[in-house]
Amino acid sequence: MDRAETEAIREVLGGNRDAYRVLMDRHFSSVARVAFRITGNEEDAEEVAQEAFLRAYNKLPSFRQDSAFSTWIVRITMNTAINLVERRNRDLSYRAPRIADEPSAAEGTVRVADGQAGPEGELLGREAASLRETAMAALTPMERAAFTMRHMEEVPMSEIAEALNITVNSAKQAVFRAVSKLRRSLAPVAGGLR
Amino acid sequence: MKHFSEEDLIAYQLHDSSNETATRRHLEECVECATVSESIAETLRAFSAEPVPKLDLERNWQRLRGNLSVLGDDQPKRVGLRWKLIWPAIGLAMVALLVVIFIALHGSYTMKTRRNVAINGHGPLTTEPRDPAIADHLDSAERLLTEVNNTQGPLDDITREQAHHLLLKNAVYVHAARESGDMAQAAVLENLGRVLTTLDNEPETPHSTWRLRLEMNTSGLLLDIRILRQNDDGNQGAAQ
Ligand SMILES: [Zn+2]
Repeated sequence: MDRAETEAIREVLGGNRDAYRVLMDRHFSSVARVAFRITGNEEDAEEVAQEAFLRAYNKLPSFRQDSAFSTWIVRITMNTAINLVERRNRDLSYRAPRIADEPSAAEGTVRVADGQAGPEGELLGREAASLRETAMAALTPMERAAFTMRHMEEVPMSEIAEALNITVNSAKQAVFRAVSKLRRSLAPVAGGLR
Repeated sequence: MKHFSEEDLIAYQLHDSSNETATRRHLEECVECATVSESIAETLRAFSAEPVPKLDLERNWQRLRGNLSVLGDDQPKRVGLRWKLIWPAIGLAMVALLVVIFIALHGSYTMKTRRNVAINGHGPLTTEPRDPAIADHLDSAERLLTEVNNTQGPLDDITREQAHHLLLKNAVYVHAARESGDMAQAAVLENLGRVLTTLDNEPETPHSTWRLRLEMNTSGLLLDIRILRQNDDGNQGAAQ
């Protein structure tokens, strides 16, 4: 951690709230980014970013300065984001369509009208965007977090595991399940699943 | 010819495969696996990173700034912003919950708790610093229970593994809470222990999972844990 950050933390702990701005300036964009990946929308991402920075601030007295603030705040962000998605799911009694474990015509599987079957290029269209959204919404918050961090943000599995307080194997399994579900949800458009 | 599983091929496409060379060689020869592999690659392309909207730093700083307490003095820190807003509403619910839990757990047992400000609806459940590890424990428990609560059908191995892991630690925290005289926390942790034991022991059937959820929800366990955890966050500055 560089000196400006160490100094800022010292200042904050000494009672200067405005020194926290230094840390926010540096890490806001990565926090917002992670929050957006996991929540999937701008409004919730902002909510998570606020909460994460506030939690980090309140926990600052116990922050061990031998580790990087960036790692720490991202870790808090991931957990805050997962909690928010869970809260949303619960509070709104939101029931996302579940992707069936087997690619049968089971109830609740995301289905795409036959007429939509077409070339891969169609996946890039607007309808595909809403299809992708539906598919992502059917992942558990943990799967979604693990998948977006690994695939979109290219965070190593070990870091994801540590951040989510699970084993590396569990993190891998969460990513695998996510990809498998997403693949099945896209199968009708993408030209079939074998 | 031994084929690769979907998992192996996902790992391969994510560059997390432990035997990348062998997989690549197999894919060159096996149409079946190559097809699955390509379908996975296609999925990953379809879900490649979309641009992230840019949030307004200045506005966010102003909003956050209003919620920052001054650190470094002895006055108690303010609780989180969202929490602060819903606190009055939840105060009443908490009193009711705690009473129910106490009655359920201890019957006519006379409680010898020290003065607890939460009962008055104004502050945290405890006023003494507690083990930061508890905060982590509650964090994990909350996540696990929410997961259980939101999952339909049987639970997966990861969830069960986590439950087992948490259960092992839980007994220690129950003991610690009792030792420190924090009966409210001990009661919630005991309740958690029961649910975790059910999770850990019962054969996995859709029915047992359903029963577990019912038990969790009727006892208000998740809410209790959230309350404890939020208090930890807001007041203890617990280590991650
Ligand atoms: Zn093969």
